[in-house]
Amino acid sequence: MASPSRLEVLSLFRSLLRTSQKFTDYNIREYTRRRTIDAFLQNKSISDPVSVSAAFSNGKSQLEVAKRQAIVYSVYAPDVKSIMEIK
Amino acid sequence: MAAAIGSSISFTSPLNTNQGVSKISNMNSVSLSINVKAFRSLSLRSTSHRFHVSCAAKPETVDKVCKIVRKQLALSDDTSVTGESKFVALGADSLDTVEVVMGIEEEFGISVEEESAQTIVSVQDAADLVEKLLSKDSSPSA
Repeated sequence: MASPSRLEVLSLFRSLLRTSQKFTDYNIREYTRRRTIDAFLQNKSISDPVSVSAAFSNGKSQLEVAKRQAIVYSVYAPDVKSIMEIK
Repeated sequence: MAAAIGSSISFTSPLNTNQGVSKISNMNSVSLSINVKAFRSLSLRSTSHRFHVSCAAKPETVDKVCKIVRKQLALSDDTSVTGESKFVALGADSLDTVEVVMGIEEEFGISVEEESAQTIVSVQDAADLVEKLLSKDSSPSA
């Protein structure tokens, strides 16, 4: 697989953040957001194209997982909101 | 007085051609009508689609965007964030820009598209995009 372009990486970042917004559970939503930001910041400086492609495909598979889970969790959405969401 | 009348003519005639200067009879009404015309022409300018004014975004919108940027980049209170500040100049990289755009989406309840999000380089760009999306949502679409 060819090395992803900068725009593709940013687009993956955006998609992950958007998917994390869809979770109904506060904890999972915050965790997904935190984890993607941490992972992208951690991998920001790798320059070796093989590692870049590996990280990118890892991110894409995680995006698929997150999308599936968002749908599954929304079926069992809790009625009571978490205390953190009540402002 | 003559200068004031002259300035009112040049200011309002392109926008309010039906409002004749002949209505002005004494000095009191001159000052009043200048104020009224000034406000009306300002509101015309901000809602009219014929004029592409660069300062199209409302100051409250710019303020909200500045606040989001400040929180995301963890800037100290004495760094100035104005409409003209570019994100790169404030020390943001592309990941920070994406996060700022997500924060703006959440704050204003809008949805920014990929291409538009990639063209945002300054606070003013973001505020203008917000205004455009908000006006598109509120206006009755054909």
